[in-house]
Amino acid sequence: MDTRRFEWSNIIGTAIKYAVLLLIMVIVLFPIYWMVITSFKGRLELTTYPPTLFPKNIILDNYRDAFSDSDIPRYMLNSVIVVGVSTLISLFFGTLAGYSLARFAFTPTFKRQISFWILSTRMIPPIVTIIPIFLIYRNLQLLNTYAGMIIVYVGFTLPFTTWMMRAFVREVPVDLEEAAMVDGDTRLTALLRIVLPLTAPGLVATAIFSLILVWNEFLFALILTTTSATITLPVGISGFVSQFEVLWGQMSAVGTVAIIPILIFTLAVQRYLVRGLTLGAVK
Amino acid sequence: MASLTTAPIEQPTDERNPPWYQRLGTDYLPFLLLAPAVITLLALTVYPFLYSVYISFFRFRGGRPDTFIGLDNYARLLQDPHFWESIRTLLLYAALSVTLEFVLGTALALFFTGHFPLRGLWRSLMIVPMMLTPVVIGVIWRLMYDPNFGITAYALRSIGLAPIEWLSKGNWAFVAVVLVDVWNWTPFMFLLILAGLESLPVEPFEAARMDGASRFQIFKDHMLPMLAPTMLVALLVRSMDVLRIFDQIFIMTSGGPGSATEVTSLYLYKTAFKFFDMGYAAAGLFVLLILITILSRIYIRFLGTGEEG
Repeated sequence: MDTRRFEWSNIIGTAIKYAVLLLIMVIVLFPIYWMVITSFKGRLELTTYPPTLFPKNIILDNYRDAFSDSDIPRYMLNSVIVVGVSTLISLFFGTLAGYSLARFAFTPTFKRQISFWILSTRMIPPIVTIIPIFLIYRNLQLLNTYAGMIIVYVGFTLPFTTWMMRAFVREVPVDLEEAAMVDGDTRLTALLRIVLPLTAPGLVATAIFSLILVWNEFLFALILTTTSATITLPVGISGFVSQFEVLWGQMSAVGTVAIIPILIFTLAVQRYLVRGLTLGAVK
Repeated sequence: MASLTTAPIEQPTDERNPPWYQRLGTDYLPFLLLAPAVITLLALTVYPFLYSVYISFFRFRGGRPDTFIGLDNYARLLQDPHFWESIRTLLLYAALSVTLEFVLGTALALFFTGHFPLRGLWRSLMIVPMMLTPVVIGVIWRLMYDPNFGITAYALRSIGLAPIEWLSKGNWAFVAVVLVDVWNWTPFMFLLILAGLESLPVEPFEAARMDGASRFQIFKDHMLPMLAPTMLVALLVRSMDVLRIFDQIFIMTSGGPGSATEVTSLYLYKTAFKFFDMGYAAAGLFVLLILITILSRIYIRFLGTGEEG
């Protein structure tokens, strides 16, 4: 009898848990759902009251209007170029630095100072560096150039890639490298042949986090780009908000397209999420 | 054996002491590998910082430094109520958001520990908000907050309340942007604290329960001390990040109505790029950076306790 009552309370407990879980998932996901369905609503349905929870007619006009005969495809291309190149460079620099910090002794104070200095640059709000960078770029004629954007984004993601790679390299047993070096490898060939393959999953995760960081970045792009030749997607989306009207439908359509790569990438790195968000501090 | 160091193998004792360029691959290698990252970061953080200190002593005309005015910009800053109000707004925003996220995240993590089916699925879905483009988040919520056809207005009306003009009434606008932050980042606290909870051993809690401790006592006396390091990391990472806030607020309210949601980044952005008062903005940046540095020193001290060096 006792065991039966126990089971009942268990079932009720589970039911409550599921109800709470369902409620939380609705809260978490509803805003995204709302944007996606808004992108499929016609102009009239967008501003009717009460708002419809599911579009009466699924209309693709917003996508057509936003992507044809506009600069949005160009902005996407700009984003892809800037994101891709800056991530590659940042990953390269970050892996070298992370390896150095993970493997070499230096003096303990120097190592600690330099690690935390690198980390502390990540904490500076972008506004602090972007105003002087804007003035410096204007003098160097780097405004509205891919090069200018890429340089800024390498700096933007470097603290992250360095700390992540430092954490991943630390996990590779030193013995493996030492054995390779006894067999005639140099430091660098051992890094290439032994350490990189073993940290490959970490390297990919770090790359994806860095891609997302840059893909999402807004303030630097807002200030450093004013022509469609270099404007990135977030700035392009913000352009739909003008003083007179907001093109909700088109804006939602572009927003929906902008988050698709993020959703795919996020699923790919979820195993590393906790580490990524804490720069490797928590596993 | 791990104690076999590489040094003797790499550098055969050489009394002639080769020139520096031959030692690049050995003695200087650690520094050489660090160099690209360090140089990039110096160029993109330290140099701009020094440059902005330099321009903070100038009055700007036509977007260019014009006259040297010494500390005038700083003197003006001290008496600028808008600047200090923006700092207050930023700190209030940060404190409110992070506290709410922490409390909610901890509660949810405690609620969802243990065996729970479909974990993989709902965990991955939870991650989505914090990965989204902040600009897109701003757009979504602006759409939902719309007082005429937005879904929140509809929800409030359907339970018999008057719709709130979220983004155009001062205090509500502040509440609205904080709520978006809470929606955005509670999953972060939740997932981190959940990860911490699940890495704890179960035996001490079982033993305490045998001794007749209540659930709350177990939490307070046994779980909390063990969970503290994870909680600390979660809190600190989040508090540092929240101070960077700009994008969502820029999209949702541009700091308005009035200056109800004008955090320091927004105020300085407007000063520099709407009024082209760059020298004055640079003085403001300097003060903001001092504030952040003090906070990040505290952060690093805490985070550094687990570091072996």
